[in-house]
Amino acid sequence: MSSVLTSDLRAHVPALGPERPVVWPRRTRRTLVNGLQVVLVESHTIPKLTAELYFRSGNAVTARQAPGLAEMTAAVVRTGTVSRSSRQIEEDLRRMGADLGTSAGADTSAISFSGLAEFSKGLLELVVELARNASFPPDEFERERRQRVEELRIERTTPGFLAGERLRKVLFGQHPYALVAPTEAQVESYRREQLVEFYGEHYRPGNALLVAVGDFTAENMVEQIERAFGNWPAGKPAEPENPPLPETRGRHVYLVHLADTVQTQILVGNRAITRRHPDWLRLSLANSLYGGAFNSRLVMNIREQKGYTYSPRSTVHALRQHGYFSIHAAVRNAVAAATLAEIFYELDRMRALPVGEEELTDARNYLSGVFSLGLGTQDGLAAQLATVYLNELPEDYLETYREKIRALTADDVLAAARKYFDSANARIVLVGDRKELAEQAALFGELEVFDAQGNRLQGGEAG
Amino acid sequence: MARLQIPIETTTLGNGLRVVVAPDAAAPVVTVGVYYNIGFRLEPRGRSGFAHLFEHMMFQGSANAGKMMHIKLINSSGGVLNGSTHYDVTNYFEAVPSNALERVLWLEADRMRALKVDEENLRNQRDVVKEEVRVNVLNQPYGGFPWLDLPPVAYRNWHNAHNFYGDFADLDAATLDDVQAFFKTYYAPSNAVLLILGDVQPEEGFALAERYFQDIPSGPPPKPADVSEPPQTEEHRGVVEEKFGTLPALAVGYHAPQRRTPDWHAAAMLDQALHGGRAGRVYRRLVLEKQVAVDTSGGIHYPMGDIFDYNGPTQMVTRILHKPEFSADQTLAVFDEAVGELQQQGISVEELEQVKVKFRSDYYSQLEGGRGGYMPRYGLMHCLACFALFDRDPQLVNTILEGFLEVTPAQVQAAAQKYLVPRNRAIVIRRPVAKGAAR
Repeated sequence: MSSVLTSDLRAHVPALGPERPVVWPRRTRRTLVNGLQVVLVESHTIPKLTAELYFRSGNAVTARQAPGLAEMTAAVVRTGTVSRSSRQIEEDLRRMGADLGTSAGADTSAISFSGLAEFSKGLLELVVELARNASFPPDEFERERRQRVEELRIERTTPGFLAGERLRKVLFGQHPYALVAPTEAQVESYRREQLVEFYGEHYRPGNALLVAVGDFTAENMVEQIERAFGNWPAGKPAEPENPPLPETRGRHVYLVHLADTVQTQILVGNRAITRRHPDWLRLSLANSLYGGAFNSRLVMNIREQKGYTYSPRSTVHALRQHGYFSIHAAVRNAVAAATLAEIFYELDRMRALPVGEEELTDARNYLSGVFSLGLGTQDGLAAQLATVYLNELPEDYLETYREKIRALTADDVLAAARKYFDSANARIVLVGDRKELAEQAALFGELEVFDAQGNRLQGGEAG
Repeated sequence: MARLQIPIETTTLGNGLRVVVAPDAAAPVVTVGVYYNIGFRLEPRGRSGFAHLFEHMMFQGSANAGKMMHIKLINSSGGVLNGSTHYDVTNYFEAVPSNALERVLWLEADRMRALKVDEENLRNQRDVVKEEVRVNVLNQPYGGFPWLDLPPVAYRNWHNAHNFYGDFADLDAATLDDVQAFFKTYYAPSNAVLLILGDVQPEEGFALAERYFQDIPSGPPPKPADVSEPPQTEEHRGVVEEKFGTLPALAVGYHAPQRRTPDWHAAAMLDQALHGGRAGRVYRRLVLEKQVAVDTSGGIHYPMGDIFDYNGPTQMVTRILHKPEFSADQTLAVFDEAVGELQQQGISVEELEQVKVKFRSDYYSQLEGGRGGYMPRYGLMHCLACFALFDRDPQLVNTILEGFLEVTPAQVQAAAQKYLVPRNRAIVIRRPVAKGAAR
């Protein structure tokens, strides 16, 4: 499909004006004596502040002893401290116009908060209390645990969740990244002492990064942070070692059976790279051309031409130690195989032929433009800063990103596609009704069938 | 108390198109929106889902820019774009580096001028919309709950009560003639507002608006649909089968007071007291204390909008996922306790003060908020557009908070007693089909 503008249209469309310079705001960086890293940026768009306190330990470090334990710890952290009850914490937050969330992913645990700047002192004091002196009330722990079990039951009826869970399992094998969520039994077996232990070891200033963006002066905020966090005793957990990754040769198809579904959730993936890898930007550009943007090839093909699906996309996922590339689409059952054929056709086209000059320029402009869209909001800035400092990217990463993207060539894209769009060895996950899908799935490789709980089912058994 | 004062300039072009500019040079980024005063509530009878299907057609080709050109030209300028259909408005919006402003305005003017689409485009987008409905509703646990479940139970007027995403038979019946007629009726400049926010000067914004939009001919403004509801005299109830999810669920909707009245201000404080996160009385009572529920949420015009972005009847909605060992009636009884407490004992000065601080703080975030982080100032744009179209006064963005901050405890209690009564509400139960729930 050609995307070249007709000369007729070109005559109508206003040219882009001269670019106005993108100026990334000045960062104020401090490392407190206890090891806490602090990054601050002033942003006076609204009279609030937006901040994240990250600990560089998440579910991956607990995967072998108790999968999902970091997430459960985070959930209980906000429910009580040595001096405040759950109700008091929530009312204190409301009094300061604040929202607060606690969460954990594979690599980090986080306390995210935002509130009116006029109350920043009280908000920081509350956050440091949650980070240092959470009390893990036994009844709150029991309540959160029951809630988690119920959430898991619902998650395992959700096609997108099931697809992601299976893909991570088959890409990462024995590595902790294979586990997206615990089983119900694993959650039932958590003990409160395990949460307290994880908290004591990993919620440490030497393991932490505080990013704050908002309506303050940096100087004043540094003082406030030093006062609130400065006397937190130092500490840093040991880095765990992780097992090697599984071999992923040949195409394999994994069908997660969910009866009576009216749609098929497709998820195709390969392992790829971290954000620190020298190929990261090449792969990002290749992804943008393939399926990362609205006008990318895959979206134009299976949505705008064929009408198979609403919102197909491809994504590069960066975890701290590894990464992966994936393609997702939710399609009507009858066209599952037809969609896979197009997914692979477009992957192989990226691998076989260099991208044309106009399409390449468009994609470079897209990536370099959208990179700075978040510049004008506190949320957008905080997210960019967290990406840089959590991944320990170079200090000038934000400032040099655009020129680096603009220097990429068609050869860079081709090389990245050949290396990472590994279509011959792709893992294919389908979530849907096996009656509708088993035959279509088997066309693409060796087939294994699972139920929603992850149990292997006999291949030929009727749903 | 720090107050936000957003500079806003407005004008109206000769063809009736309203233009709002909110300059802010903090970043070299500009957000553009065009809002039309047509939403799924206002679509013609017997044409369920048409307003949303039509929104998709607006990306399929316009006077000079063919299919895919809108998307290509915005993405290749370093920007993002989308559209969305709401109760009473449909919007089209872009965020781009500010050197692409003129191009964005040309594109939006091009599709306000004329829609050039064919049978193939319509067939294609009908398929895409059906997959959208499947992925968001038919193939998801709690899909459409309660935004599609409550209206048919709560309302008697077709406009408020029908399936907003559309019955597939109605989508199939849509023709190209319908598409062009809809465009002619509802997409006239006089039925729209253009918004330019961010790195632009007002005079520059107005001059560009004139250059690109001034000569678009305007039709007569559409005849407003009658969305009024007959008074409700008894509680309404409905049951919907939950095909995937394992937990039973319950939604309660109370008809809300009319927008921009003292009762509406009081209801907003009542709403924040009930649904304001974990400090809210509903979550605290049902999830934290009595532990009958696993999750609750709610709000005025929830979950498809907010307290500002509708123009007609709406409800204050509570959504509850509860534990299977409690029946719907037992769960409802706990919810009613929380409501009853407010009606009988009212709200303390201290609690109301907290609620007001949180309301103000939320409002600021709403104005700045992107849509999923990629659309700076989407919230400000959305408020400006609704205030321009519904209230003819976009400056309300700077003053609307005042009415809420003046509410007294007595008003909150009175609103609870007047509005949160059974004969003013509808209840929908989502009942899981056997397999997952029985254990």
